[in-house]
Amino acid sequence: MSRAAYLVLQAFTSLRRNALVVLAAILAVFVSLTLAFGALVVNELFQVNTTRWQEGVHVVVFMKDDVSQAAQLDLQREIQSWDEVEETSYCDKTCAWLEFKEMFADQPALLEETDASILPASVRIKLTDVNYYRDITFRLLDNSAVRKTVTAGDRFDQLSNISNILNALGLSLAILLGAASVVLIANTIRMAIYARRDEVSIMKLVGASNWFIRIPFLLEGMLQGFVGAALAVAAVWAGHSFLAGLEPEDFLIRLSVGYDFLVRWGVLILLFGAVAGIVGSGLGLRRFLKV
Amino acid sequence: MILLEDVTKVYEGGIVALRDVNLDVQKGEFVFLVGPSGSGKSTLIRLMLREEGTTRGNIWVAGKDITNMPGWKVPNLRRSMGTVFQDFKLLPNRTVSENVAFALEVLGRPKTVINRQVAQVLELVGLATKGDRYPLQLSGGEQQRVSVARAFVNRPPILLADEPTGNLDPATSVGIMRILDRINRTGTTVLMATHDHAIVDAMRRRVVQLERGRVVRDQSRGRYESFRSDEDEPQAKKAAPPVEQPSVQPPPASEDLEPAAVPEPEPST
Repeated sequence: MSRAAYLVLQAFTSLRRNALVVLAAILAVFVSLTLAFGALVVNELFQVNTTRWQEGVHVVVFMKDDVSQAAQLDLQREIQSWDEVEETSYCDKTCAWLEFKEMFADQPALLEETDASILPASVRIKLTDVNYYRDITFRLLDNSAVRKTVTAGDRFDQLSNISNILNALGLSLAILLGAASVVLIANTIRMAIYARRDEVSIMKLVGASNWFIRIPFLLEGMLQGFVGAALAVAAVWAGHSFLAGLEPEDFLIRLSVGYDFLVRWGVLILLFGAVAGIVGSGLGLRRFLKV
Repeated sequence: MILLEDVTKVYEGGIVALRDVNLDVQKGEFVFLVGPSGSGKSTLIRLMLREEGTTRGNIWVAGKDITNMPGWKVPNLRRSMGTVFQDFKLLPNRTVSENVAFALEVLGRPKTVINRQVAQVLELVGLATKGDRYPLQLSGGEQQRVSVARAFVNRPPILLADEPTGNLDPATSVGIMRILDRINRTGTTVLMATHDHAIVDAMRRRVVQLERGRVVRDQSRGRYESFRSDEDEPQAKKAAPPVEQPSVQPPPASEDLEPAAVPEPEPST
């Protein structure tokens, strides 16, 4: 039997002997990493949705009726040339009336009474970054062709504030729970060493090197962390699949984050579990292996 | 083989376990370390195993200064010393063979070598037929023989024994001593701490006596008691567990003991 095989066998023997404690550690890692991963996914869901809402038209510039269409198109070209602007579109009075009719299709009385000519033409602006809306509004304030500038910018401000807070909360929760799993593994390994303290003291007595004593415990911790993490990834994956199944047809809100995200973070969580196991058992071992 | 120079060990709280101990043990010697409980015998063994460091003084083992040996070299030091204790220190969930093999496994010896050496050493201690038993299925004497086998299976140049007969009846003790004697005759240096008068008196080897942490006698072919201290507790063997309580024990008649001042009492047998 090779030395490596011996060490691995030692790790498995110890896992079997302390089955209950090991189970407790795996469950603890599973629960904390599930919550941590879950927090990350929820956070990502929120990001995905706010980003979606932030897409589309950011600023609408309504034109004065007494300005010629040529002048209006000139203004559109000017706006289009600004660095902050990604895309513009022009909607004349006919286009405005069609939109109005579509929007209030279920209120024929309103359509009946509305005079198509009072609806203004407009330029719709999509910004490269939604945060530029103040600059654009400000620049168009004194333009003689502009009747009114409308923007949903303040809503975006609120949304991104909430998003930032949720982001911070989710991340700190994930970090806290990750740290908890390290401590839990440290505790388990300490118990495992305590259960085997006679064996360890004899090993030291007959001159086993410190690494020879340590490696089985480190492997044991790594395995616990990895299994706990694997269970957590499976649970979050299943939960996500379930949620994605509930996603409404009209895409108003999205309940899935995409497999890229899941795979990338799933792998990271697995790695974290294994590393947390090693670090945890390292911490648990420290006190016991003084010569 | 083992050299101590002015070794002093003070435990936390100011308890002095050893005071200016000088000891020179040659290769192949058999040395009894005697003295009442708390005189410092076990501390001396712990220092040689480098389980503790000295407070002052230096210790050489097998030519190496272990006084300031860094922790990562200590395992190597311990491979050059077999150790036997009063409480056997066997693993109850492993068989006799596995217990002995354990000492070689942790050194990463190949399986074939382990099997051969375990068989040889079990033969040496007379347990060749009991390799598959578990420690609790054996008598105390047999358990101690397993422990001796484990200590010697690696053929270390030094064997340290701390009260190896402390838990055994006299007849069984004799069996253990025969084995230690045989091991000694292979050239292994043996250092044995003991309370056992009968054994020391029967073997007539070098005796180093400790009192309150000092060497008060160092005599070749000695007896347990020095010549003039006949009034000392004659039934002292197995009197107390080997717990270090250096400051509380009542040292009997220590004032009239002079190192090596005692003449050979009679021709040895």
